[in-house]
Amino acid sequence: MSLTYTTNELMAVTASRLLRDGENVVVGLGLPQIAALLAQSTHAPNLTIIYEIGVINPEAEEMGVGVADPRLWYKGEHFTSFVGTLGAVLQKGLVDVGFLGGLQVDRYGNINSTMIKTEKGSRHINGSGGAADIATFAKRLLIMTRHEKRKIVDSLDYLTSVVYLRGYDSREKEGLPLPEDVKIITNLCVFGFDEETKSLKVVSIHPGVKLEDVIQNTGASLDIKGEVKTTKEPTEKELDLLRNKIDPHRMYI
Amino acid sequence: MKSKVRDLREIVGEIPNSGANIAIGGFAITRNPMAFVFELIRQGKRDLTVYQIVGGMELDILVGAGLVKRLEYSAGSLDRFGRLERVNEAIDRGLIDVREYSGLSISLRFLAGSMGIPFIPTKCLLGTDMLRILLERGDDSVKVESSPFDGERYVYLRALQPAFAVIHAQYSDEKGNVIIEGPYWDVELAKSAKKLFVTVEQVVSNEFIKRYPEKVIIPSVYVSAIAEVPFGAYPTAVYRCYDYDKDMLTEYARISKDKAEFDKFLKDYVLETKDFNEFLEKVAGVERLCKIKADPVYGY
Repeated sequence: MSLTYTTNELMAVTASRLLRDGENVVVGLGLPQIAALLAQSTHAPNLTIIYEIGVINPEAEEMGVGVADPRLWYKGEHFTSFVGTLGAVLQKGLVDVGFLGGLQVDRYGNINSTMIKTEKGSRHINGSGGAADIATFAKRLLIMTRHEKRKIVDSLDYLTSVVYLRGYDSREKEGLPLPEDVKIITNLCVFGFDEETKSLKVVSIHPGVKLEDVIQNTGASLDIKGEVKTTKEPTEKELDLLRNKIDPHRMYI
Repeated sequence: MKSKVRDLREIVGEIPNSGANIAIGGFAITRNPMAFVFELIRQGKRDLTVYQIVGGMELDILVGAGLVKRLEYSAGSLDRFGRLERVNEAIDRGLIDVREYSGLSISLRFLAGSMGIPFIPTKCLLGTDMLRILLERGDDSVKVESSPFDGERYVYLRALQPAFAVIHAQYSDEKGNVIIEGPYWDVELAKSAKKLFVTVEQVVSNEFIKRYPEKVIIPSVYVSAIAEVPFGAYPTAVYRCYDYDKDMLTEYARISKDKAEFDKFLKDYVLETKDFNEFLEKVAGVERLCKIKADPVYGY
């Protein structure tokens, strides 16, 4: 049987399946939050959700506009500070998975969420917030981004969050702990990283997407070697949870 | 008992007219000390150095008013409503000296300041452009050294003890025992300052404080002065008091994109209002404020 689903639904389901029961996850608004809630409703009921602003394990009834929106804090189990979450939980090494997004991602997974260089000069957009800290300390990283040539690039306009830095062992040499795994989930495919070079490689392509589409929409150098799988489709149960329980107003799916 | 409750105008008057440094609480769209910052602008405090974790509308207006010389922060936005257009433009045009950190690294600087220690080591910032730029500019708040204990590389962050800090909270008693409901990301920032000012929704009795001491996030020992300013964070949210005003934030996001429109807003609503109550009456009115009052269970 073939199900119909949106790309965002597929991205949320793919991210959700990478979370394991009992893990501690730092999430932001949007698809990461939805992926974590889906995992909690399916295979990972004991997932602990952490918002950097200082909220642990809320059960929001409404989607919000950002982590500073009290909608996201509803039925929290603990309120604390930035130092309480990013310092005493994340820096201590208790976060299994951190979600990240941004303006640009490079071939080593590094992320820019600060500014963009244009012909008219540089344009400041936002800044790190907790993103650089999450990239520093989380054991695994899930990066979610739109798949566009200008977003997945060889060289960042600004390096806000370090993932594999300049590849090979450059991250460890910088003095940073090495993450166990990093995946990038886009609207076209899932990327992982080569074990030795630590550069981008295609892990799976979403159903209906051609390898050519991935190559054409990637602005970074890409190694295509080994077997490229097809991303597993959402199940009927996952889609039902997403549409009727987790995001009934379809704000993000 | 000596009361720390004073008029907002008088408290802001304590800040030097030029070159002061001040840490500001709040986070994007929640508990931003709007009333305090508006009064800073009315009194024309110039050449400010501002420290903040994640700035919002109050930071944007302060920078747009041309009063900030230097900004040390980790990010700023109006969340989904938009960006800090005035801050971003000031950075792009080189009008302010900006020093960027990550959220944890700047919070750790406040933590060290709040504990009276000179510095704090962390692996935050290693490899980032934030660190590279701070080092290239000879900023003396960061050093990369190996630890005398494990030999590993760390960033040593200088403690921050700003001359002033301001946060907005739900309640305080006259002594300055401050209750913050919801997460309190700005507590280390508040405790780090030499002088802490707190604007609150309501001044409550010391009896109330003694009944709920576990709700006091900042005890009176840290607090210099309290100002009672109902709706003092409007249009940003105050958990369990009122929601953010999405229409006002949407409107500000639009206005702030254009310098001329922003300047008109600044003149009409900040400079030409005598206090925050007049601003609230002019921009919102009682009916609109009643509409955003929070449900006591949901908190928004």
